[in-house]
Amino acid sequence: MDPILVTSALIALAVLGCIGLLFGIGLALAAQKFAVKANPKVEEVLEVLAGAQ
Amino acid sequence: MKKVQRQSVFLACFLLAGLFLLTGCDSEHRFVKRTAFKGTNQIVITFAGPVDEPWAKKLDHYTVYEKSDPDILLGLAGVALSQDKATVTLTFRETLNQEQPHVLAVKEIMSQGTSQGTALLTVKKAYLGYLLSVLLGAMIIKNFVFTKYLGLCVFFGTSQKKSTAVGMGVTFTLVMVVSAMMSWFMYQFVLKPFRLDFLQIVVFIGLVSLSVQAVDTILRKVNPALFKAFGVYLVLVIANCIILAVPLILANSEYNALESLMLAVGAGGGFLIALFLMSSVRERLEVANVPPTYRGLPIAFITAGLFALAFMGFSGMSLF
Repeated sequence: MDPILVTSALIALAVLGCIGLLFGIGLALAAQKFAVKANPKVEEVLEVLAGAQ
Repeated sequence: MKKVQRQSVFLACFLLAGLFLLTGCDSEHRFVKRTAFKGTNQIVITFAGPVDEPWAKKLDHYTVYEKSDPDILLGLAGVALSQDKATVTLTFRETLNQEQPHVLAVKEIMSQGTSQGTALLTVKKAYLGYLLSVLLGAMIIKNFVFTKYLGLCVFFGTSQKKSTAVGMGVTFTLVMVVSAMMSWFMYQFVLKPFRLDFLQIVVFIGLVSLSVQAVDTILRKVNPALFKAFGVYLVLVIANCIILAVPLILANSEYNALESLMLAVGAGGGFLIALFLMSSVRERLEVANVPPTYRGLPIAFITAGLFALAFMGFSGMSLF
């Protein structure tokens, strides 16, 4: 394999990995900060219902 | 009430300042008021006061070149002075490439016997007009739905009722602006420096889903009413190809941040217009006497084709 291709692939992996990690952490933090309290009863009721739709 | 008023005054001041920043003040020299292109091969210089006729008529006093090519001086064919002696019109032998900014050097301006010094001026097309032409171009002339046939599945899926259509259009525009700006930033400052242009599609798809997810999470908390109104459309935006086409166009045509913003707003607005027009017609078709074979989607396809024909009328138009 051409070493130039290997290095460029490695750079791509590193950069995309960093971007993904960064945005993943960002989204997780946002989800925590903007968490909406859902009523647990809603889920329970939905579970009991037939759920055809 | 008072607080709202103060806020709106602040907003107005801010917008006005932004407008001035955009248009620029053009005060490159204290004696030159304005420079502008006129026709295909003329430049008009407006001075703050009358200039001397013998000075103004001499061709040697003006040097003009394109900003990117300082070595190539443009040939002057003639100079005309207006009645009040404050406006000079330079005529060139060849047509000027008005997309390029031109540099105009005016030597030793003489006004009523006194010298006003040499002025080095930049002549360029009004930038605000150019931005507006990008916006209107994406919205109407090169409408993504009717002239490029993109985003058709969402277009036919959500254009049955006017309320649905407008909801989808507004949601789409919002996500489009967010994701296009992020993609532009990502392309210019990450992908290009690392020479990873070949990964642009992968990155842009990721950014679109990221912005949809972010808008979903934040909106759910910040404005539940709006979130409920957006409802299912927010997720549908991911399945739209216009939202991927815009970052690719931005990457190809090397737009700057403002132009990218205009293209994104234009694409969103164009989709909104297309959806609204289509839903109006389809609501009307509900009560029309359509032959049974054509009911439903077939007649919608025919309508979309007619709209596309109508939008072809705008093709090749250039604004400003």
